[in-house]
Amino acid sequence: MIRFILSDLRRLWAGSLVVVLLVALATGLGVAVTLQERAIRLGSARAADRFDLVIGAAGSETQLVLSSVFLQPSPLPLMPGQILEKLAADPRVAWLAPIGFGDSFSGYPIVGTTTALITNATSGFAEGSLFAAEGDAVVGSAVNLPIGAAVKPVHGTAVESGHTHTEIAYRVTGRLKPTGTAWDRAILVPIQAVWHLHGLGDDGEAHDTKPGTGEGSRHDHAPEPSSAPNEPAHTEEHDHHAGIDPDAPIDETWSDHVPGLPAVLVKPKTIADAYKLRQEYRNGATLGIFPGEVLTNLYATLGDVKQILLAVATGAQVLVAASLMLVTVMHIGQRRRQIGALRAFGAPRLSVFAIVWLELIGLFATGIGAGFAAGYGAARVAANAFTQQSGFVLPVEFIAADARLAAFLGLFAAVLAALPALLAYRQSPAAALRS
Amino acid sequence: MLALKIQSLAVSFKGLSAPALVIEQLSVPAGSRLAITGASGSGKSTFVNLITGLERPSSGRILWGETEIGTLSEGRRDCWRGENIGLIMQDFHLFPGMSALDNILLPARLAGAMSADGRMRAHALLERVGLARPEQRVETMSRGEMQRVAVARALMRKPGIIVADEPTASLDAASGAAVGTLLLELAADESSTLIMISHDARLADRLERRIVLDAGQIVSDSAAPAVRA
Repeated sequence: MIRFILSDLRRLWAGSLVVVLLVALATGLGVAVTLQERAIRLGSARAADRFDLVIGAAGSETQLVLSSVFLQPSPLPLMPGQILEKLAADPRVAWLAPIGFGDSFSGYPIVGTTTALITNATSGFAEGSLFAAEGDAVVGSAVNLPIGAAVKPVHGTAVESGHTHTEIAYRVTGRLKPTGTAWDRAILVPIQAVWHLHGLGDDGEAHDTKPGTGEGSRHDHAPEPSSAPNEPAHTEEHDHHAGIDPDAPIDETWSDHVPGLPAVLVKPKTIADAYKLRQEYRNGATLGIFPGEVLTNLYATLGDVKQILLAVATGAQVLVAASLMLVTVMHIGQRRRQIGALRAFGAPRLSVFAIVWLELIGLFATGIGAGFAAGYGAARVAANAFTQQSGFVLPVEFIAADARLAAFLGLFAAVLAALPALLAYRQSPAAALRS
Repeated sequence: MLALKIQSLAVSFKGLSAPALVIEQLSVPAGSRLAITGASGSGKSTFVNLITGLERPSSGRILWGETEIGTLSEGRRDCWRGENIGLIMQDFHLFPGMSALDNILLPARLAGAMSADGRMRAHALLERVGLARPEQRVETMSRGEMQRVAVARALMRKPGIIVADEPTASLDAASGAAVGTLLLELAADESSTLIMISHDARLADRLERRIVLDAGQIVSDSAAPAVRA
């Protein structure tokens, strides 16, 4: 029987190939959508994992998550610097780290932060060590810079870069291990360097002495309108470049001279503390968020998109299934005589049924298998491209539910293949031979 | 070797006023060789379908030995046909893409009736019908060779009955005569009852009995001239 089926398939190889391709395409489409959506969900959830609580100025929750967790450049409003001091003194806080954005270097965002963040929220160093001086920098695993390289920050986002800060070139002192997040593409520098570079912070004499110097006036660090309202100190100081000393030691004791901040990452001591802190900082001026929760809301939207994509994929699958039905029924029509002859020579009806069924299920199963492989491959290619661009890893992986999908497709194919097989089973051999 | 008995047989098709075939009484002794001739539409094909169990009679009985095939279920009839009837048709009905050997073995394999010496028998039959290359694909063969494969396939399961429906009609004269001879010899060798539908008078004359059908009726039942002489 197998031999008969194989010779039949060999004879009708072109048609068989088309059937396999159709099935593979329809399956692959659905698989790719499912895998990709899951990869985005898992990847972003993992990225948000390290950030328990983010506190920023009142504004968009999504924007805050995108900027802090995914380092998407966007003008964030600033909150008063005193908040940092207040949080640092709060007994419910295990550790905290202010983050500052605004500069970039050859496409990598430069993020001002603290040793606390690097120690607590990364996977450790692949080589080199933590920054020790104001002019030191630590690079993420995906940043293509060697230890010792000079980083000249460019004002502005990685996409729309502005002028270069000539006052400083950071020295790369360490490289972090991969975390699978957008932070792998970041250059981390002491936040005080960012402040000093932009003429902010507690150096009282900085803005007394620097205004009017050639350098200071050339640069325009006027914040975007959206950044202005919450940052009184900033408006005053935006034109000034503080003295930046690459060799100055890092000072992470937060005084009330801290300038306005876009966001602070907070590690609360307990879950209860986390909720209390979020509640406390969800007032008019500040916004406390759990990135995981914000992402969950985002997924709800993403889920709708997935539903739409899946509906499209399902539509395609239904079309393919319908065309396959047509093809197989026509195919049986063409094989009436052959099937009639098989019966006339004494082949049991069940063998005839089995031949037709096995032949079709073989084609369908091959197509489904190829579709899963193609869908997986496509999702991997897309995910890799995404990782290269953003640094954050999209884990493309199958889960148990996919086995259910495969089983369902297999079952559906089995039923679909049974229809023409049943036609063949029921047809009278005498009538078939006459035709 | 089986004997055929037909009693009060009538077959009519929907939409036709006259029955397609009416046979009051017919007896074919086991091992005999019967030719059936008649114009097209005379009921020959219906006769073949009935005695091979491909169709059921509207009324009457068809007995092969002790088995009344009209009463068997469809599955049982397939099974019975596979075991007892070697069927040869005008259009060969070989399966392209498969070798001569696989074609011969296919019905036995599908019926799950392959015995240990099945391949040996298939090789022997191929040799007997004069084909030297068992692995040759059937679609690469001449029509005469194809019909030889079909003859070997019909004999594979040692059927008690060989039914040949116009076995030479689609062959040229020489191959037709050779296949005709082969059929007669093999039926004798295997002591099978042979029923051959043919409008080829020379072939029909070589069988000991000839029935002529016309408009679904037996109009003549006689010993063939060659045998009479």
